[in-house]
Amino acid sequence: MAEISRDTLLWIYERMRLIRCFEDKVAELFAQGLLPGFVHLYAGEEAIAVGVCAHLTDRDYITSTHRGHGHCIAKGVDINAMMAELFGKATGACKGKGGSMHIADVSKGMLGANGIVGGGGPLACGSGLTAKVTGSDSVTACFFGDGAAEQGTMHEAMNLAAIWKLPVIFVCENNLYAESTPWFYHCAARDIADRGVAYNMPGILVDGTDVFAVYEAAGEAIARARRGEGPTLIEARAFRYYGHFQGDPLTYRTPEEEEEYRRRDPLDQFRRRVLERNLLTADELDAIDARAREAVEAAVRFAQASPYPAPEECLTDVYVKYP
Amino acid sequence: MSAVGIIANPASGKDIRRLVAQASVFDNNEKVNIIRRTLRALDALGVRRVLIMPDTAGLGLRALDGLRLSLDARIIEMPVYGDARDSTRAARIMAEAGVACIVTVGGDGTNRAAARGAGDVPLIPVSTGTNNVFPVMVEGTVAGLAAGVIAAGLVPADAVTYRTKRLELYVDGELIDVALVDIATSRDLFVGSRALWDPGRLREAVLAQARPGTVGLAAVGGCLTTLSPRNTHGLYLRLGAGGRQVLAPIAPGLVVPVGILEHRLLEAGEEVHLDPGNCTVALDGEREVEVGLQQTVAVRLTTAGPRVVDIEAALAEATRRGAFDLAWEAPDGPSGGC
Repeated sequence: MAEISRDTLLWIYERMRLIRCFEDKVAELFAQGLLPGFVHLYAGEEAIAVGVCAHLTDRDYITSTHRGHGHCIAKGVDINAMMAELFGKATGACKGKGGSMHIADVSKGMLGANGIVGGGGPLACGSGLTAKVTGSDSVTACFFGDGAAEQGTMHEAMNLAAIWKLPVIFVCENNLYAESTPWFYHCAARDIADRGVAYNMPGILVDGTDVFAVYEAAGEAIARARRGEGPTLIEARAFRYYGHFQGDPLTYRTPEEEEEYRRRDPLDQFRRRVLERNLLTADELDAIDARAREAVEAAVRFAQASPYPAPEECLTDVYVKYP
Repeated sequence: MSAVGIIANPASGKDIRRLVAQASVFDNNEKVNIIRRTLRALDALGVRRVLIMPDTAGLGLRALDGLRLSLDARIIEMPVYGDARDSTRAARIMAEAGVACIVTVGGDGTNRAAARGAGDVPLIPVSTGTNNVFPVMVEGTVAGLAAGVIAAGLVPADAVTYRTKRLELYVDGELIDVALVDIATSRDLFVGSRALWDPGRLREAVLAQARPGTVGLAAVGGCLTTLSPRNTHGLYLRLGAGGRQVLAPIAPGLVVPVGILEHRLLEAGEEVHLDPGNCTVALDGEREVEVGLQQTVAVRLTTAGPRVVDIEAALAEATRRGAFDLAWEAPDGPSGGC
C-alpha cells in the first residue's frame, strides 16, 4: 500500500465528515418539507467516493448516480451550490433547475448525478474515449449501484470500455439493496466483481466501509488506467444508513443488519484507527467536525437567502442552441 | 456412518491480486460447482448426511438447487456476517455435530478461520486460487471421495490424516489470532486491501511452511530450505535490501527479487519477538492486524494446527481395502488366458 500523507489523511476525513454532515442536514430539511423533489442520501457510503476521488484531480472525471451528493462533495463541488440546487435556487449548481439527481460541475470533472439507473456507464465511456483520443491522462471513475449493475447500459459500457481499453474505473457501490431488492436476489453471479473476468478486466471486491481498502484498490486501478492498460471493476460493499429515498419505511431490512454496519461506520473506523496509530490528533479531527457542521449550516443559509430562478429562465440551458 | 461438513467461502479468490498481479479468478459459480461435485461423490459413497455453511452468496443453497441426491444435505442454521466469523462458527457447529471431516472450499484465510472452530476434526482443504499454500488444488469430486471414505468408515481417519503447524500471534502478550502458513510484518500502516505483493514493504516473517512450488512467503522460504506441513520446524526471516537476494514468486505472475538479511530455523514451541513499531501484521499473506508504535508483537510456532486429510493417501488406502470394488462376476464360458 502506498504511503498516505498526513495532508491526504486530513483531506479524507474532512471530505467524509462533510458528506455525512451534508446528508444528515438534508434529511432534516427534507423531513421539514423545505426541499422540493426527491433526495437519496449517501450517508454510510462515504469511504467509497472519498477513497476513489482522493486519487483524482479536476482534470479527471466522474459519473454519478441518483445518490450523488457524496460523489459531488468528494470531487470538490461547492456545497453552497449543491445546497442551493436542492432548494431549487438560482445560485444552485444547475441554476436550481436540476435538483438532487442532476447536480453537475464540469469544471470539477463532475459529469452529473443521474436519475437514470445505469445512466452513468455510457457517459463514462464517452469521457474515457475523449481522454484516449486526445491523448490526455484523464481517468474517469464511474460510480454505479448494485441495481444499476443489472442494467443493460452497464454491461454495454463495461464491454465497450474493455474492448477499447478506455481509462475508466467502474466502481460498483453495492449497498446491498437495489431500492428494496436484496442484491443476492437480483444478482445471478452473487458477486458483481465476478463479472470482471467476463468483461476481460480485473474484478475485485473491497470493503466499502474501509476508506483505506478503497483508497488502495482505487489507486492501483486508476494508475493502471493512466498507464493505458484499460478498465477495472471494483465492487465496494457498504450500507446506506437512510432508505432508498427519504420517506422509505425500510421494512425490507433488519435492525441487526443495520447495527452490524453501524459498528463498521466509515468515519468512526477512520477516527479510531488514525488515533490509535498517532497519525492525527483528536483535536485536529474535532476541528474538522466543527468546520464541516458550520460549512453545512452556512450552505443552508446561502441557499435560503438565494433567489429562485426567474420564470423567463425556464428554458435557458435546457436545449442546445445551434448557430 | 458419519456426516461431512462443507464450508465454502464466497469472498475468496477476488481480492486485489487480480489487479496488481495475475491471480486466478475463481467465481462463485465455480464454487457452487465444486460443492455439487463434492456432494455427488459423497452420495455415490453412501454418505447419508452433509452439513453446509450458509453464506452471503447462497453457495450451498444454489448447489442443492435441482441436485438429486439420496443423502440429506442441510444448510446449518446460524447468523451470517459475510466475514471470517462465519467459517469459524460453522466449523464449530459441525464439530459439535460430530462430522467426520470438513471439506473447505477457499484459500488460506478460509482454512485459518475454519481451523479456529474445527478442533480435532480433520479438514479437506480445496483451493480456490493460485495464491494458496495450505489448501490443495484438487478436483471437488476427488475431495468428496476422500471425505466419503472417511465418513463411511472405509478407512480409519487417523491413518490418513496428519497434524499441521500453527503460528500464534501475540500483540502486547495477548493471543490475537493464528495463522497456518506464515505471519509477516509489513511497513503498511493500514490493513487496506489486505493482500501482500510488494516484498519491499515486508520487514520480518515467521513461516510454518517453506516450499519451492508454492507462491507467496512460503516460496521465499523455499528458496532457503524446505519445510513441509508435517515437519515440526519453522523458519524466521528478516527481509530487506543489503543481504542475500533470492528470486521468488511472491504473488501469481510476480517473480521478483526478495532481499533476506537473516534467516534461521525455529523449533516447535519457540517464540519470536518481532520488531515493534507502526506496522501491519499479515496472516497467511493477508494484512489483518494494525499495530501501533508502543505495541509488542510476538509469534509462537506450535504443532497444534488443524488435522488435514492426505487425500491421495486416503484414496489409496480405500482402494487397498477394496472400497471401490463393486460386485464382480466371472464371465460365462471358459476363461481365456492373456
